[in-house]
Amino acid sequence: MLSYIIRRLLGVIPVMLVVGIFVFSLLHLAPGDPAAIIAGDNATEENVARIRASLGLDRPLLEQFASWGWATLRGDLGVSMFSNIAVTKLVQQRIGPTISLAATTMLVAISIAITLGILAAWNAGSLLDRAVMGLAVTGFSVPVFVVGYILVYFFALQLHWLPVQGYMPLSEGLWPWLRHLILPSVALGMAYVALIARITRASMLEVLAEDYIRTASAKGVATLPMLLRHALKNAAVPIITVIGIGVALLMSGVVITESVFNIPGVGRLVVDAITRRDYPIIQGVMVIFAAVYVLINLVIDILYCFIDPRIRYA
Amino acid sequence: MTTSRRTVLSAGLAAAALAGIGAPHVARAQQRPARQARMVPQGDLSVLDPIWTTQNMAAYHGAMMYDTLFGIDAKFQPQPQMVGRTDISADRKTYTFELRPGLKWHDGTAVTSRDCVASLRRWQVKDGAGQHLFERVADTPVVDEKTFRIVLKEPYGLLLDALAKTSTPLCFMMKAEVAATDPNTQITKHIGSGPFKFIESEYRPGSRVVYERNADYVPRSEPASGIAGGKRVLLDRVIWDIIPDAQTAASALMTGEVDFFEVPPIDILPTLSAAPGVKVEVFNKLGNVGQVRLNHLHPPFNNLAARRAAQLAINQEDIQRAAVGNPAYYRTCGSHFACDSAMGVEDGSDALMLKAPMAQRQARARELLKESGYDGKPIVVLHATNIHVMNQTVLVVAQQLRQIGLNVQLASSDWGGVVTRRANQNPPDQGGWNVFYTWSGGNSTASPISLFAHAATGRKAWFGWPENPSIEQMRTEWALAPNLEARRSVAQRLNRTMIDYVHDVKTGQWVQPHAYRGDRLRGLLAIPEIIPWWNVERYA
Repeated sequence: MLSYIIRRLLGVIPVMLVVGIFVFSLLHLAPGDPAAIIAGDNATEENVARIRASLGLDRPLLEQFASWGWATLRGDLGVSMFSNIAVTKLVQQRIGPTISLAATTMLVAISIAITLGILAAWNAGSLLDRAVMGLAVTGFSVPVFVVGYILVYFFALQLHWLPVQGYMPLSEGLWPWLRHLILPSVALGMAYVALIARITRASMLEVLAEDYIRTASAKGVATLPMLLRHALKNAAVPIITVIGIGVALLMSGVVITESVFNIPGVGRLVVDAITRRDYPIIQGVMVIFAAVYVLINLVIDILYCFIDPRIRYA
Repeated sequence: MTTSRRTVLSAGLAAAALAGIGAPHVARAQQRPARQARMVPQGDLSVLDPIWTTQNMAAYHGAMMYDTLFGIDAKFQPQPQMVGRTDISADRKTYTFELRPGLKWHDGTAVTSRDCVASLRRWQVKDGAGQHLFERVADTPVVDEKTFRIVLKEPYGLLLDALAKTSTPLCFMMKAEVAATDPNTQITKHIGSGPFKFIESEYRPGSRVVYERNADYVPRSEPASGIAGGKRVLLDRVIWDIIPDAQTAASALMTGEVDFFEVPPIDILPTLSAAPGVKVEVFNKLGNVGQVRLNHLHPPFNNLAARRAAQLAINQEDIQRAAVGNPAYYRTCGSHFACDSAMGVEDGSDALMLKAPMAQRQARARELLKESGYDGKPIVVLHATNIHVMNQTVLVVAQQLRQIGLNVQLASSDWGGVVTRRANQNPPDQGGWNVFYTWSGGNSTASPISLFAHAATGRKAWFGWPENPSIEQMRTEWALAPNLEARRSVAQRLNRTMIDYVHDVKTGQWVQPHAYRGDRLRGLLAIPEIIPWWNVERYA
């Protein structure tokens, strides 16, 4: 197992290299000039050219890539072309809200979805099952920003229970932190509730039809322990796979949710950077995202072994 | 599963604990500091050097923390701000400025004339009006700690106007050591002498900007007017919340989470106006002026007849209706210098304004296009899709050009893509372009000198690169004119020439209303292109 983990971790290096080359090429070949954006609309072409030179954007692409790659290898992700602030510092400032949003979203989604999935499977074909599946279809179909606006309308504008926007760090207190995350987490979590609930239901239905479940039931095992200990544990591998994919996909959902609820997270950082062509931020965040994806996949693979002891990695 | 007394109790305790933890913070969140205001500005403050860039947000930031030697008042007249006394020599070639007492940098040191000269020198490199002025400057000697001079080679009537202007970049004063930074490199130290201090430790690009009252600031005794007069600071703290989503910003204003929303979309205004406590008001009466830039370097618009055809094809009313919508906020305008401004003359605007039926104009445009020898080659129109006004305007312009027989090809991208491609002087099929659209503030448009887009110096001019010596001669004549009346007279000739030559095609003028909590704030000043926070009081 240990050698497997080490091999997987080493595998991160070529992945990052490919991501680095891909992101760098894509950014620099796409139209857009940060110097022109920095200079502003009233600037002369001479001023734009001077700013371009001062940012080193007039150097050959290969030279720019080499200096960025070398700096990245040393852990230096560069400095924002606009604000002059180190990318690592900007990511540090923004990572807290993103992790908070992702964590609360997944917590909400997993707890609701698995419960609903189990209930639907146990009552397959019933009104409850149909209601859960109806909810799942709705969760998939309605975009996160629509859910967001509806939640804001009712819970912030009409009832005044929760704030419209913003973020409070956990250091400001549990409730201020939580009350700013409730609406965005529910909005963002809807799709994941749908996804995980459907997979849980399908997987549970398959397991519930197995002989050992019938045997457990015949032995007089109570419903709840039977569903959780016998059925859910054996149905967990596909559920965990979907949760893993969900966490990875969460990044794209986070971008929209952070904009709708004005949460100053990494998603918004990168979107703003793309609009402005702030290359160091885009490149730096993409490399970090790639590393996170690889690590999430690794964690999921390791979790399989604990859930299903039959799975072994050579 | 059974529910025991113990589970109920522990659940109750958990809820109580949660409420207990939260309660003091709720109280704290609701207890807003008495003298604080929160604004949602038009965009992010990504650059902190208001000289390095001409971005509006940097100018807003500059107006908070820096001060200017002069400032325009509400009647657009330059008035002294940091300067206490001005002496102008009899030959009008030497201006002697003495700084008023009590001026201090935010680090506690005194503002000196050496700082001001260094700041002027840095500013003029980046500013069109500054460059025009400094072409005529012989020297800027420092007389003593508080006095310096600008010595001109010839009299220049716009000197004070250039120092006082609110179009970007404004002539902000910085410490000499900061102003010594190469104008093409961003400053790294942020020490101003203005009414507010920038709190760098709380600065989160893309999220929030915080300013606190500069307790050492000594305002002038005159009442605040425009960017001139006494900048009395009545707020302890001003926070800019960068909220990218307009709907979210509007909701936050309605619930009172923010106090001021700078650019609410026009279609949200009725909802905001109806919300309790929210007031909608236009502060920048000159608004914005749209312009279609035609590329003078390449066919077909290197031909005057083709440019005139395009000018005839463009219908301002249709464009404004699509882009702005509500006639209360837009107008058609036949001036290259912003209607309602001192230079808002409309001489010679028949070709630009819809004074003949559209079918007749289009018929004449088709004839002109034929005369120009247009061969049906695709016309590349740059189309920024991520900015509402630009998207709508370009779609209408493209259709209007198609209607006279131009083979229009839209090159769609975000604004970032347009600003790159518009600088390309190659032919359209080699990465260049034929048409792009943008707008400028009405205040800067009002000056033939301040707005670089008015230049007609060929490849050295602004994007589109018009070349016309008569226009250049008249711009200089305008700058040297002794008074407003004389300037207006030059502007009349200039407007006629610019329309006749089709320097660019104006697409109308519109204002952007602001929405704010009228039940809390008062004293907001109407200053074009700047959102000032001095004079503003939070009374509830």
